[in-house]
Amino acid sequence: MGIEKALRMVKDLPRVALNNIKNSPMDQKKPHNLRRGWGKNKTHGRGHKGQGQRMTLPKLGFETGQKPFYQLMPQEKYYEGHHLKRQYPPLSLLKLQRMIDLGCVDPNEVIDITSICMTGHYNLNVHQRHYGVNLTEDGAEKFATPIIIEVQWASELTIATIEKLGGVIMTRFYDPLSLIALKDPEMYFKTGKPIPKCKLPPTDAVEYYSDPKNRGYLADPDKIAEERVALSQKYGYELPDLSQSDKLSLMLKRKDPRQIFFGLQPGWIVNLVDKKILKPKAEYLQEYYNS
Amino acid sequence: MSNYPKFSYELTHFKKMLGQTCRRINKCLNACPRIEFKRNLWRSSLCQQKIDITLKYTDEANASKDNREPTLYEKFLQNPKSVPLITSRKMEYPNKYRPPRQAWLETLSTAEDHKLGMLDLHPDVFAVHPRLDILYHNLRWQEFYKKIDYNWTPSRGDLDVTHRKQMPQKRSGRARNRNRSSVMFRTGAKPLGPRGPRALFYMLPKHYRVQGLCTALSFKYAQNNLHIVDSLEIPTDDPEYIQDLVDTRFWGFSALFVDDTDYMPENITYALADYPHYNLLPVYGLNVRDMLKHETLILTLAALERIEQRLLYHSNRSRSSSKFSMESRYDQY
Repeated sequence: MGIEKALRMVKDLPRVALNNIKNSPMDQKKPHNLRRGWGKNKTHGRGHKGQGQRMTLPKLGFETGQKPFYQLMPQEKYYEGHHLKRQYPPLSLLKLQRMIDLGCVDPNEVIDITSICMTGHYNLNVHQRHYGVNLTEDGAEKFATPIIIEVQWASELTIATIEKLGGVIMTRFYDPLSLIALKDPEMYFKTGKPIPKCKLPPTDAVEYYSDPKNRGYLADPDKIAEERVALSQKYGYELPDLSQSDKLSLMLKRKDPRQIFFGLQPGWIVNLVDKKILKPKAEYLQEYYNS
Repeated sequence: MSNYPKFSYELTHFKKMLGQTCRRINKCLNACPRIEFKRNLWRSSLCQQKIDITLKYTDEANASKDNREPTLYEKFLQNPKSVPLITSRKMEYPNKYRPPRQAWLETLSTAEDHKLGMLDLHPDVFAVHPRLDILYHNLRWQEFYKKIDYNWTPSRGDLDVTHRKQMPQKRSGRARNRNRSSVMFRTGAKPLGPRGPRALFYMLPKHYRVQGLCTALSFKYAQNNLHIVDSLEIPTDDPEYIQDLVDTRFWGFSALFVDDTDYMPENITYALADYPHYNLLPVYGLNVRDMLKHETLILTLAALERIEQRLLYHSNRSRSSSKFSMESRYDQY
């Protein structure tokens, strides 16, 4: 019941005084059961003799001298903090090529984490600390499509294979709340929540995403261009000229560090039923989402 | 009993003099040092407030009457247009989602009801969820924190009884026994009875105490028992003036007048001296029991400002930073 409704009711009720006030029934504690009632005489529910009647039962979990279950398993330092560490479930280049060949993923569009999750062949569970896609090198020699892809983790060889073929790879960080929206956008829009503002990476990940070698989204674009040349020289392939390609506009498409979806800003609510977008009007909301 | 026992050996002698039945030991000094210590802390924290307030007011009171700033009503009489009809107040921690409540600004300068203006009241103080259980907790706390249970029953060791075996072990037909102090005997001791002065002191968490005051004020406002007045200055010290005033305005049987300072104007103190049902109170003495005991609550403008400031400050404050400091441990007391 709302506060306003309650206050309106109070107006018509008698004056609150010292003789009117009682405690809420949920807060009234039951008295301790003394077990003096019918059928509870003699042994008072404790049975006959032994530890049960004489209040000498051992502590919980005790196994009469045998090492108890909760003390059998030793602690191992190697898994310390395992429940807090970020995980990037792998997606091999082989699997990615297979998905492209079968038509699950469109190479003529930017391949985002959303498009990878929507194929159904990649499992991402945000509640198990999965922070995104780790594009592995397995199948690098068989990879044959120029693609524009945005992942969360990529090794040097992966970057080299994609750039050799005339593609573009970017690494981008998403926080868990944004990933919930990205994983299944339709379901997220149906909840009616506004598009979240993507947070910056944690301190131990900032270095990775600011490094041009990893094609991080926080890195200097000029330095990324330099690194592309350096990588081509290292692996010994000719760097293709991307300015001549048809997909130049797609390649230059970038998301703002706070933006999650292409074409949608944080703070907007997408109404799929009426096919409308609601944007925040209040100043404090606009201030928050623009910061 | 003029000479109360002060030391433990005197206490036992004193008990023996009185007899062996259950009785109260009134005003046993040093019986409960813990309650006395905590009471002193509570008093000292309030005393400092009182000293500051009285010092401030005595300087102003020493000034002559001509230099005193005219009250709002006097200004209104001189020039009705100088006092604005609606006065808005600047509120701290404004609530974005709920509008402020409004109340008339009245005056005690005439027995008839004259309204000097209209005031905004903060919804987080005067329109809080009307929870009766918070009021209950506050009332119970006010009653119980001062209580000392003086009940005391002698245990087996306290009874003045011989340690002789009462009857032979066998052949009497009766149950076996030792001395007369045991539980089974009619004149024996009570095993786990009340043992001496026991303090029922406890501190209600700060949030409950703050919300208790806000809830009581909300109830008073919602049920039209709250009135705000420019000051407690009245023209005469005649008790009948106050009676007339209360009757014409239908303020009820009992009223509580709350001011910012504990140094009240002369006239009102004389006027209310003979009435036990009309009471004066400074802001630092405001409590849930007094607000509910009196039918109407009358606040001065200065008192209203002070109350709102303190209650909003404590409602919006988190003590996580100073949680484990020695200052914060006793600040609540």
